[in-house]
Amino acid sequence: MITWLLEPLHHAFMVKALGVSTLVGCVCAVLSCFLTLKGWALMGDAVSHAVLPGVVLAYWLGLPFALGAFVFGLMAVTLIGFIQQQTRVKEDTVIGLVFTGFFALGLVLLSKTASSVDLMHILFGNVLGISDRDLWQTVIVSLITLITIALLHRDLILFCFDPTHARTIGLNTTLLSYLLLALLSLSTVAALQTVGIILVVAMLITPGATAYLLSDRFGIMVLIALAMGGLGSLLGTYISYYLDVSTGGCIVVLQTVIFLLAMIFAPKHGLLAKARSPLS
Amino acid sequence: MISSPAIDLQDVTVAYHHHLALHGVTLQLPAGTICGVVGMNGAGKSTLFKAIMGFVKLIRGQVRIHGLPRQQVQRQSLVAYVPQSEDVDWQFPLRIWDVVMMGRYGKMNWLRQPTARDRQRVRESLEQVELWPLRHRQIGELSGGQKKRMFLARAFAQEAQVLLLDEPFAGVDVKTEKLMIDLLMAEREKGHTILISTHDLASMTTFCDQVVLVNRGILAYGRTSEVFTPENLSRAFEGSLRIPRRCD
Repeated sequence: MITWLLEPLHHAFMVKALGVSTLVGCVCAVLSCFLTLKGWALMGDAVSHAVLPGVVLAYWLGLPFALGAFVFGLMAVTLIGFIQQQTRVKEDTVIGLVFTGFFALGLVLLSKTASSVDLMHILFGNVLGISDRDLWQTVIVSLITLITIALLHRDLILFCFDPTHARTIGLNTTLLSYLLLALLSLSTVAALQTVGIILVVAMLITPGATAYLLSDRFGIMVLIALAMGGLGSLLGTYISYYLDVSTGGCIVVLQTVIFLLAMIFAPKHGLLAKARSPLS
Repeated sequence: MISSPAIDLQDVTVAYHHHLALHGVTLQLPAGTICGVVGMNGAGKSTLFKAIMGFVKLIRGQVRIHGLPRQQVQRQSLVAYVPQSEDVDWQFPLRIWDVVMMGRYGKMNWLRQPTARDRQRVRESLEQVELWPLRHRQIGELSGGQKKRMFLARAFAQEAQVLLLDEPFAGVDVKTEKLMIDLLMAEREKGHTILISTHDLASMTTFCDQVVLVNRGILAYGRTSEVFTPENLSRAFEGSLRIPRRCD
């Protein structure tokens, strides 16, 4: 077991990959608690796909990916809001329409510039080959996200739970809503290298959903999600090393399995617990 | 200094998608009033509340709470809203204590770190509504009446001057209803103003000082006994309400 854990650490690329995966797993896990409680899973999916053209343009212009992703993430959200207000089309339809449109635009731009290898890396992640520049970008973006949430978590919880009350006591709910979306765009960029754009949403939903089944206290929910996101990413990276398979795929499959186990065995909200107490 | 009315609406007009939700509402309530807001579903009761909270764009008119405009009302947490139970996510991983503490956020620093005074106020509010022993429960574990009392406690913790209650007696047992009415009357004694929206007429007459009849605008407002006439009620409910015939 010890050798199993230590052997990959002889390779510098594995040390980086394990560190980045774990960090990104933790960042996404914290955010996932807010997204699942707010009911924004679909929004997470949308924003994570919609950042693609921004990432490509940033690559063209030599700007940080995070900046491009941030701008396009917010553009997508604004467009979703605009279409919804101005037409009779329903919300989930508008979200699906806008994010696939943005994603397709990203694919077009990407196919014009990059090799098919780059394309695969952006879509499915390439944490084993992460460059030092991308590593630092991921670390900085992760820290910004974590610090912002640590400082403002009480406002964000209130915003998710009861936006009406938040407004009556003078909180700017529009700003909080955009803040949460901005954090979403940033963490998408952070997770880009690890699991790729397609699977980011899993990291942004699964830990929160699992923790939600396991706790009725927000603080504990975040800790469970953190443990799951961090450990899931760490173990997933190890497994992908030994099986020589996709890292992003491994991490997400592992997290999904943990979710299924929680769904069955959770002490209070699990299927077994419910079967045992038919009254509730 | 002339003291301003607690709630002062002048010609308030609101429209959603070219459809008038409220038309030319003028209403003044002095501090220390309990006022029932009565009307059918869709008559504009919740729009009226939103206008008072400053959530809707007014086509015409203005809203003043204790003489102050929206920004200052919100900054000072002057208005508290007690929501309908259906509008709340009861599975949310929060304890009773956490929710009542949210009433204090407007008075805290930007990191929302509670002081001893905040904790003291939350405790007093929970004791007032008799939920102190249940403060560590997850909110979904409460009964219908306890849920209402929790939000009432949050409004008390907020130390709001104006309380807006949306269908507060729906799904509430008689004992809780009595406790809540006693608490609201005590708030009135402190000079606070309370608006209660409902389509249940029977509960209003006993303790409301004033009644507002709403149907896309204000049909009538004033003392309960003067407003609750068969003609007014028939206009408010568009004939869908059976009114007991008066024996003259």
